[in-house]
Order: sequence, then C-alpha cells, then structure tokens
Amino acid sequence: MSFLRSFWVPLALLAGALVLVLDPVPFVSPVAHPVPVPDWATNTNPVRQPKLVPQYVVAGFTYQCSDCHRIIPSPRETQRRLTQHTEIELNHGLNTRCFNCHHPRNRDAFVDDFGEEIPWNQPQRLCGKCHGPVYRDWEHGSHGRLNGYWDAGRGPQLKRRCIECHDPHHPPFGSMTPAPGPDTLRMGPPLPPGHEGRRDPLRIYSTPASPVASH
Amino acid sequence: MATPQNPPGAGGDVARPAEVSRRGFLTQGAAAAAGLAALAAALSPLRHLKEGDLPTAEEFLQKHYKEMSATERARVLARIQEQVRKRYGVTPQVNDPPPLDGVEFVYGLNISRCIGCRKCVHACVAENNPSRAPEIQYIRVLEMEKGSIDVETANHRYDASPVPRPDKWYMPVQCHQCANPPCVKVCPVEATWQEPDGITVIDYDWCIGCRYCEAACPYWARRFNFTEPQIQPDQLNPHLAYLSNRPRQKGVMEKCTFCLHRTRVGRLPACLEVCPTGSRKFGNVLDPSSEVHYILKYKRVFILKADVGTMPRFFYYFDERGSRYHDPLEGEGQATLGEGA
Repeated sequence: MSFLRSFWVPLALLAGALVLVLDPVPFVSPVAHPVPVPDWATNTNPVRQPKLVPQYVVAGFTYQCSDCHRIIPSPRETQRRLTQHTEIELNHGLNTRCFNCHHPRNRDAFVDDFGEEIPWNQPQRLCGKCHGPVYRDWEHGSHGRLNGYWDAGRGPQLKRRCIECHDPHHPPFGSMTPAPGPDTLRMGPPLPPGHEGRRDPLRIYSTPASPVASH
Repeated sequence: MATPQNPPGAGGDVARPAEVSRRGFLTQGAAAAAGLAALAAALSPLRHLKEGDLPTAEEFLQKHYKEMSATERARVLARIQEQVRKRYGVTPQVNDPPPLDGVEFVYGLNISRCIGCRKCVHACVAENNPSRAPEIQYIRVLEMEKGSIDVETANHRYDASPVPRPDKWYMPVQCHQCANPPCVKVCPVEATWQEPDGITVIDYDWCIGCRYCEAACPYWARRFNFTEPQIQPDQLNPHLAYLSNRPRQKGVMEKCTFCLHRTRVGRLPACLEVCPTGSRKFGNVLDPSSEVHYILKYKRVFILKADVGTMPRFFYYFDERGSRYHDPLEGEGQATLGEGA
C-alpha cells in the first residue's frame, strides 16, 4: 500500500507515456471521401452541336436538302403530320408552319420577312424575326453563351448561336440532371460516408434535426 | 523499482540528512525516468513530421507579397514550382499576372436563366485546385421557393433530378469582390487586400488562419483549410498563379478570385465558360462596349444584401420575361393548331 502511495504519480505518468507512444487507438479523420465528379460536369461544350449546313443524313448517306426538294415539291401549307422527317416534332408555340422559317423555294436557306434567303449558318437572323428583345440582348451579350476571351483584343471569342442551346423545333431549354451536390464541411450531409453513428466534430454546425443521409 | 528488504529506520535517515537513502534514490529516479518518458511521449507526434511540413528558412523569411522586389518574386515563384513538382509530380507554370490598366472586373448573373445544374461549381473546383477531401467549393447554388428570396432557408443540398424544378429558382453565390470589403478590413495581418482591378486576393504565405475574414463576409464566400488539402496529381491544374490557384497549405483561407490567372490574360472565368445556359456574364465595366456595361445600363439588376453596404461587383439581373422552361408549351401549341390559321 505504501508503495502505491509513494509511486502512483510516476506510474500514472508512465502509463500515459505508454499510451501516447504505442498509440493503441489510431486517429480516424472525420473527413469524407472525395465525391467522383462526372466528366460532363466540367465540359464546356454547348448542349447542342448543330451542323449549320443544310444537310440531311438518311441511312448513312448525306444529302443536301435541295437534292430531294428540287424534284419533290412539298405542299405550301400542311396540317397533316409529316411523312418524311418524322423525327421532327414541331413544338414551337404559335409557330406551326414549316415555311415560317424554311424558304419555300430554296430549301438550302431560311426565309426572312421579305421572302429573301437567310444562309443556313446565320440562324440568329431567322430567330430575330420574332424574338426581338432576345435578339437585341444576344447581340449585346446579355443573352447567350460566350467562350474564349472576354477581351477580344487578346484572343478569339466564340459567340454561341441560338440553335447551339435551343432546338428550333422545340425551343425551351431542356432540364438536366444536376451535378453532385456539396459535401463540404458546413454544407454537406450531416454524416460523411463510413462514419455512421460517430459524432463528427467538424460538422457541429449541421442541423441535428435533418435526417441522416446514408450514402 | 522497489526494494523487498526493509530499509533502515526512519530515525536513521533524519540523523544523516546529507546521505542519499536507498528509498529516496529509487523514488526520485523512478519519477525522473517517468518524467523523461512522458516528455518523450509528448514529443512523439514529431515522429510523423515529413519533409516539407516545417517551413524552410527561405519560406519563413519571405516578405509580404506587396513588399517583394521583382527578383524576390521570381525566386518565390520558382520555389513554388519546385514544391508543386516535388509533391504532385507535374511541373506547373507558376505566373503572377499583374492587374490590367483601365480594367475593373464585374460579374453579371442572369437568375431568370440559371437552372441550378451546378456545372459552375465543379468547373471552378477543377480550375482552382481547392482541396477535394475535405471538399472545398467556392460557389454555392441556392435553391429557393419561387416568389421568395430568403437565403436563410435556401437549400444547398437539392438532388432532385432533373433541374430546374418548376416551383423553384436557383441563385449561385460566390465571392462578390466587394468595393467595400469587410473581409479586408478585419484582417489583422493584411494578408488579404483589394487589387486595382477590383479582385480581393489572399497571400496564402502571409495568412495566419485566424478566420476573422470568414466571419466578416456576409456572403459566406471564404473557405478555410482545416486540414492539409488533398488533390490527386491528375486533378491538379498546372496553370498556377501566386494570388489565385496555386496549391494552398493547411490553416489558410482561400476564396474565389474571378480566376485571375485567366481573366488577367483576357480569358473568361472557368465558371462562365462551362455554364450551359449562358447565365453568367463577365467583363470590364469601364469599357462601354462590354457585356456587363450593357447589363448594368439596361437590365434590371439587384445585388445581394444591399443593406450591408459592401458594394459588390457581382450583379444579379433578369430579363423582361423570364425563361419559360416551366411553361406547358405542348398544350399551347396543339390548341392553336386545332383552331387553324
């Protein structure tokens, strides 16, 4: 007894030292594993890649639009569904006539308000016929996409055209699957993967009421 | 340690105080040994120190960014290049592009077009070399109820697919590069400051990690490296700049810099280039022909938390008529088709 009384301080110190040196309970970092990010999330290409040339591909062969339409005339107005081009579903609001946009005589061009031709590679002039305010905003850059350089004097600017984002036959911008959400310290889910049931000191700011996301 | 034999009587010890008793010697020796062992154990975490964990003399004596001469700056850039090469195995380009004359950067974000796809968040991460684990992201995309702008109840964690949801709207928030930045005012060591082109930057080698700026920012735009940032070598963007995307160390703040390594050489920021909807606009507001100049002049613009007086260079705007992604165009089209022309 007297031995313990006189030696308990050095013994406790030694025991503590042993624990520290041997490290029997290894430290497990509460940091979550990195979330894999899909490649499309950092891809800068526009949602559509139209060819901007009047070409049509059937069974592996590429035709100019005029190749067929020179010999096969289409009716001036049509209410029935198309027999050719059945993949096109015209869903453009009030604009339900093919020849509102396509030139009635030269199928390799679009048509403007005066019946003149608009080249296939300048669709913005066609869209501007009806969408005046948006065309104005696009010209000044507050609508639409720009890639490359903000300073045109230092490098090329790639101004995206209407149909690189909008399908002319179904114009509303589509919906998307969102890229993975945040797993950051204060924004992430309350418990990181692999740490279920452990109190996470780095996440004390997360709301305890929110349900535990187990993924 | 202890002796089994009975020591001499206590009276003998008192009688001969100058001599060391066997018991006293053992007690003091054991205590000293235990103390030494405890000291060694307390220092034992030093075993885990790796090369590069402690600053070299050169790093320790490095001057503040603004006080460096051109040769000193070049030497620091070469040192950073060498450190990154050693750590990640890729040889980066480390630059220090200066602010451009007659340029003040401004960001515009069209909230009537944003669909909340979060591509900007991940393009920013890929460009700016923040830590992947724990995750650090500069851009937060808030999902809010239509008709409200309550950032307190906004949701970061939406994962409903697809976006946009018809009854929600989305507002990305990142550093607003304020003209009156509270984060700069509170820094006790002047490790963060506003550049002439309007970008608030951080000297990561000068930051002491007190996180005052994080607390001061009303937009929650600053991030702290709680641990050593983890980046896979193949994820590292090798085009580095001293004030923006060079790899950070543990214990320093970081933030959006409008991608100054890109924008100061004329390129667009990474978050803008990736935006599929074209909601993001960037440019020199001092140039009357720039996109952002047009937006500020003709569009309806608002700033977030205008009442705190930070004068942000980040403007939200919207169109006369918002995006119609939620409108049932199909029904309209068929109805008019039936009426005939």
